Amino acid sequence: MTSGRTDPSQLEETNPVAIAANRHWDVIVIGAGLGGGMAGRRLAENGLSVLFVEKGPVGYPSEGHFIKDEPDDYLSRQMLGFWPAKVEASVDGGRPIRFFAPLGSGVGGTSVFYAAALERPERHDLENVGGLIHPTGGWPVGFDAFLPYLTQAADMLSVRGEADPLSDLPGPSLAAPALTQAEAKMFADLRGSGLHPYRAHEAIRRVADCEECLGRKCPRNCKMDGRSAGVQPALQTGNAHLLSDCSVEELIETSGSIAHLRVRSGGAEFMLSAKAVILAAGALHSPRLLLASKGRHAEGCGNSSGWVGRGLMFHLNELVAFWPSRGSSSPGATRCLSFRDFYTVQGYRLGLVQSMGVRADAGLTAAYLKSVLAQSAFHRVPGLGKFATATAMIAAKLLGNATVLVGLMEDLPYFGNRVGLHPEEPDSPKIEYRLSEELKHRRALFRRTIRRKLGRSRTLLLGLRPALNYGHPSGTLRFGSDPATSVLDADCKAHDLDNLFVADASFMPTSMGVNPSLVIAANALRVADIVAARLQAAAKKVQ
Amino acid sequence: MMPAPIAVISEAGEPLGRALAVALARHGVAVAAISREGFEPEMDLIMSVRADVGAPQDAARAFTEIRKRFGAPTILINAAEVYPHRDILDETPDSFMATLRTNLGGAFNCCHEVLPAMVASGTGRIINVVTFADIQPAPFSAGYSVSKGSLRILTRSLVADLGERFPGIVINDWIPGSHAPRRGIADGIAPAVVAEWGARLALLQDPMISGLVFLRDRELQPAASWKRKLKDRVLGKRRALIHLV
Repeated sequence: MTSGRTDPSQLEETNPVAIAANRHWDVIVIGAGLGGGMAGRRLAENGLSVLFVEKGPVGYPSEGHFIKDEPDDYLSRQMLGFWPAKVEASVDGGRPIRFFAPLGSGVGGTSVFYAAALERPERHDLENVGGLIHPTGGWPVGFDAFLPYLTQAADMLSVRGEADPLSDLPGPSLAAPALTQAEAKMFADLRGSGLHPYRAHEAIRRVADCEECLGRKCPRNCKMDGRSAGVQPALQTGNAHLLSDCSVEELIETSGSIAHLRVRSGGAEFMLSAKAVILAAGALHSPRLLLASKGRHAEGCGNSSGWVGRGLMFHLNELVAFWPSRGSSSPGATRCLSFRDFYTVQGYRLGLVQSMGVRADAGLTAAYLKSVLAQSAFHRVPGLGKFATATAMIAAKLLGNATVLVGLMEDLPYFGNRVGLHPEEPDSPKIEYRLSEELKHRRALFRRTIRRKLGRSRTLLLGLRPALNYGHPSGTLRFGSDPATSVLDADCKAHDLDNLFVADASFMPTSMGVNPSLVIAANALRVADIVAARLQAAAKKVQ
Repeated sequence: MMPAPIAVISEAGEPLGRALAVALARHGVAVAAISREGFEPEMDLIMSVRADVGAPQDAARAFTEIRKRFGAPTILINAAEVYPHRDILDETPDSFMATLRTNLGGAFNCCHEVLPAMVASGTGRIINVVTFADIQPAPFSAGYSVSKGSLRILTRSLVADLGERFPGIVINDWIPGSHAPRRGIADGIAPAVVAEWGARLALLQDPMISGLVFLRDRELQPAASWKRKLKDRVLGKRRALIHLV
C-alpha cells in the first residue's frame, strides 16, 4: 500500500457481507443448521440463488470437539461453534436459573454435535388415529403428506437402521451395521422381556475409521448433519453462498413483506434483501428475532396471533440404567437400539426409548448431577460441586456395567410456556415454563411402565425431578390453519407476511414422541419445495 | 490413514538436533533439519535447510523449501535455542528480546508454518524441547530461563486451543535432560541415546498422551498430594508411567 488511506470502494469489494448486500437474492436462509442447511440445499439444487446468514463460524472440517459447558466466556464459545450465551429459564415460576443449553451456533448448528438419532414419528404424532385424539386436532399437514419428505430426508442424511416391528412402515433403505455380541445379547434380553427392540435409526455413514461422533463434531464427514448433508452440498452447487460470523438483528417489514434484513458483521451493519426469507435460527432464536423486529408492530413481526415464542416444548428425558442379565457383559456406550413399546400407554402419549450412546462414566454423571443441582434449590450450598463429583465417582463404579437408556417423553404446547427477549442480554433466550399436571401424570406413568416392563431389579431410574431436554426446543412458531392461534400457515409461511417462511423446529405444534431432527429436515425440504414453486411461478408471471 | 511422516527439526546446529535427525531418518522418516549454519547431511533422507527460524520471513522461506522437497511436515520438533550467559545487569532490552525471539518466537513461527496442513489433515505431532529453567532459573541466564519457561506455556496454549478440537494433533513438552557435550557438561548422556528417545516420542501418535510432559525416556507426572494419591488408588485411577524405551 502506498498511501495511508484505503479506497472505500476497494474495501467494499473485499468484504463478503458488502458484496452480498449488493445483490437481491432469491432466498436468504437465516441460520445454517439442520433445517436451514437442508432447505438451502434443496433450493440451490433447484437453481435458485441462496444466501445462508449464520451467526456462528464455519469451523474446520477436521474439528472433533464435544459440546460442553467450558470454556464459559462468550468469544471462546463462539469460536468453538457453541451458542455463546447462557439461557435463562424460570420453571414453575421459580427463581430464574442460568445455564448453557446444548445448542450449537455455526455451520451445521446444533446438529454437528447431535447424536444423529433420526427416528420417524408415528401417524398419531401428527393426526387423530382411532381413539387417540391429537391434542391440537392434528397438524395442518397430515402424515401421508409428510411421508415422502421423511423418506427423502432419511436418504439425503444416509439414515440406516431397521423397521420398527410394532409399525407397518418400512425401515430406512440402508441396513444398520452388525451388532457386537454384547449388543445382540441386549436385544435378546429385551425381547425376553416381551419388548420389541429394533436397530435405532442413525445418520452415520460408518466410514472405515468411524468414531461414532455422538455429542461431538465429526472430523471425517461421516456423520450426516446440517453441515455435511445440507450446507456443504448446497455450496457445491455454486448457487449458494455463506456469510458466517454474521448475525441477523432485525427483519424490516414493508407492506406485508420482509424487505430487508439488518445484519451485523465485524462491528458494522449491513442491509440484505431477498425475494423470500427462510427463518431457521432454531426454536429458541427464530421467535426472538421476530419479537425483536418491532419496526411495524410493537408486539413483534408476524405476531398478530400473539403466539410468537409461545407453545414452547421440550422433551422430558427419563434416564434409566439397565443392567444386563446375569452372566452377560454390558455393551457399554451403544446407540444401537430403540423401542416403541411405551410410545402410547393407556391412551396417553409417552415416547420412544433408546440406548443413550454415552458411557455412564464419572465425568458425565458428575456433569449431569451438577446440572440437576444448579437447577435445584440447593444451588447456593458451597462445596456441592465436589459432593456431586464424589457421588458421581461412586455412581460410575456402580453403573460401570449398566447401559443407559433414555425415554423421550412428548411435551404438549401451552400458551404460557414461552421464550422471549432478555431485557439485558440480547443473546440469552429467556424461558418461562410450567410443568403441567398432565405432564407430571404422564411422566409418572412413563416411569412406572419402564420399571415394570424392564424389571425392577435390573433398572435404576436416574432422574429425580422432571428433566427438560433443553437441546430439543420446539413449537415457538407453530403452524396451523387458524391465524388466531398459529403463527404460520400450512406452508410454514407466516400468516402475516407474504415472503417469510420457517424451516426449523419452531413450526411443530406438538413435540412428538421421537427426536425432532428427521421431521425438521423433512419439513425443511417441504418448505423449500413450496418456496421454489412460488418463486418459479412468480418468475413466469413476470415473463 | 496416516500420511508418511515428514519431520522438521528446528535446530540441527547442535549435537542433539543432528542426532535427532539421524535417529528419525533411521526410523524411515524424511527429515528437514534447519540450522543457522547449514551442514552436510549424513543420510539421504535428511535435508539440510539454512534459516534463522526466529525471523518470521526466513522461517516461511525455509518451510516453502521443505514443502517443495518433501510435502507438508507431519512432525515438528522445536529445538532452536540460544543460551547466552549474561548478568541481568548487562542485559539490554534488545539482548533480552533477541533470546526470546529465537527460543520462543522461533517455535511459534514454526508452529505457524506447519499448523494449517496439520489442521487440514486432522493429524500432526509437535514437540517442544524444554528444560526446568522455568522452575529454577540458573543465575545469569534470564533470557534463556524466561524464553524456555514461556515455551512451556506455549505448549499448554497449543493444547488449550487445539487439543479438544483436533485430538489427532498430539503435542508434548520434552525435557531431554543433560546430554554431552553440552554447555560444558562432560559426563552427560550421549546425544545418540537421547535422540533415540526423542525420535520414539515423535513417532508416538496417540491422542491420549497429548499435553503430557516427558523427561528423558519417560513421562514426567506432576507431583501429587497424598490425598490425590489415595483417591487415585481407591478409584483405580493410578496409571503406570509411559516409557519410551
